[in-house]
Amino acid sequence: MQVCEHQIPRLLAIDDSELIHRLLKSRLRGERLEIHAAMTAEEGLEMARALLPEVILLDIDLPDQNGVDVLRELKTDSTTHDIPVIFVSGSTDADARVRGLDMGAHDFVAKPFDMAELKARIRSAVRICLLIKMLAQRAQIDGLTGLWNRACFDQRLKQEFAEATRYGRDLSLILCDLDHFKTLNDDHGHPFGDQVLEDFAEILSSGRGGDVPCRYGGEEFVVILPDTPADEAMIAANRYREAIRNMRWEEHPDVQSTASFGVADLKCLSEVSTEHLVDAADKALYQAKQQGRDRVCLAGQSDQNDLKLSA
Amino acid sequence: MEERARPNEGSQSDAPLLSEYAGDADMVELITYFVGEMNNRVQSIEKAWQEQDKERLRDYAHQIKGAAAGYGFPQITDSAAKLERELNEEATIADLSERVEALIGLCRRATASPDGK
Repeated sequence: MQVCEHQIPRLLAIDDSELIHRLLKSRLRGERLEIHAAMTAEEGLEMARALLPEVILLDIDLPDQNGVDVLRELKTDSTTHDIPVIFVSGSTDADARVRGLDMGAHDFVAKPFDMAELKARIRSAVRICLLIKMLAQRAQIDGLTGLWNRACFDQRLKQEFAEATRYGRDLSLILCDLDHFKTLNDDHGHPFGDQVLEDFAEILSSGRGGDVPCRYGGEEFVVILPDTPADEAMIAANRYREAIRNMRWEEHPDVQSTASFGVADLKCLSEVSTEHLVDAADKALYQAKQQGRDRVCLAGQSDQNDLKLSA
Repeated sequence: MEERARPNEGSQSDAPLLSEYAGDADMVELITYFVGEMNNRVQSIEKAWQEQDKERLRDYAHQIKGAAAGYGFPQITDSAAKLERELNEEATIADLSERVEALIGLCRRATASPDGK
């Protein structure tokens, strides 16, 4: 869940002059940058969308389409609008610079370049880009547990669902809820309740690499299991179930916390959609609660598929 | 100026114009490329001028202005900037002619190494 800072930042130069491309590639060789270059506005927009570079150096005086229009397109496209754009111009026209900055450009450099200044401005833009990425990621993480939050879950589920239906792959969901959590909070206090939530989140995070554990809300959690059929998801859910029931806390050695689990996969749905998948897992979870908690239930099945392993 | 001065004839205005970065080992290859391209560039400018294609002439001037100083030729950038400005200001043919000649003269003198190669 870390921003990929190990990656070498990529710079996309959109400039109609081959001389400038060569100059940049050579003069920026010492910088920690991977340099890509486009000659036209069209090519530049295409590369920006495909590459999603950390910084764009845009010549505002492009021939086929004014650089201002490219900037406008970059800033209106949701996939590219967070990429810092440094626009470059040989003109000394202050109006153009003001317009560019007001349209959302990060910075401006004059052509011909002062190389030391250009390098510093690029470094500054890359820093901003990494901060934006970090903030965007923070906004998707649940503050208490460090798991992906609900908004992120909705988004990830859509992605994984699209992939699974497109390539005919399995996709399972585990929806789970800590049992009697309100009582635990009331009896032992909220700080301890938070501790249990954190520990349960830790258990859910220690699953298989490709699984996506999220906090659904309150004491409810959800794990997306791409490329996984229901029987494997049941095994994973039972592993989580045992881990939480076996957990003990030094400050409250008498406490045993359990959780109930509802599992659903695409095959058990009458109608295939993300909403139906969540709904099916939710019904299975409800069933697990109804049957006495501390168990795993599979969607679309009755009591015989209650795969509770221990009494 | 009916007869355009030819490079390397030894007169003051024909003296080779050495890149400011000629001593920078990292830059030599780049400057050599830039200078090597000059002939084509000069021909393009001459052609655009003969055809009185001011649009193209402005593009060339603009490009050279943006690049030359980066390759260590600020004089060429200055000269191209003046030409571009006069093209924008709709200067007279006579004035423009002088600017074009000046720019071409400088471009022809550009060199990557002190021995004028």
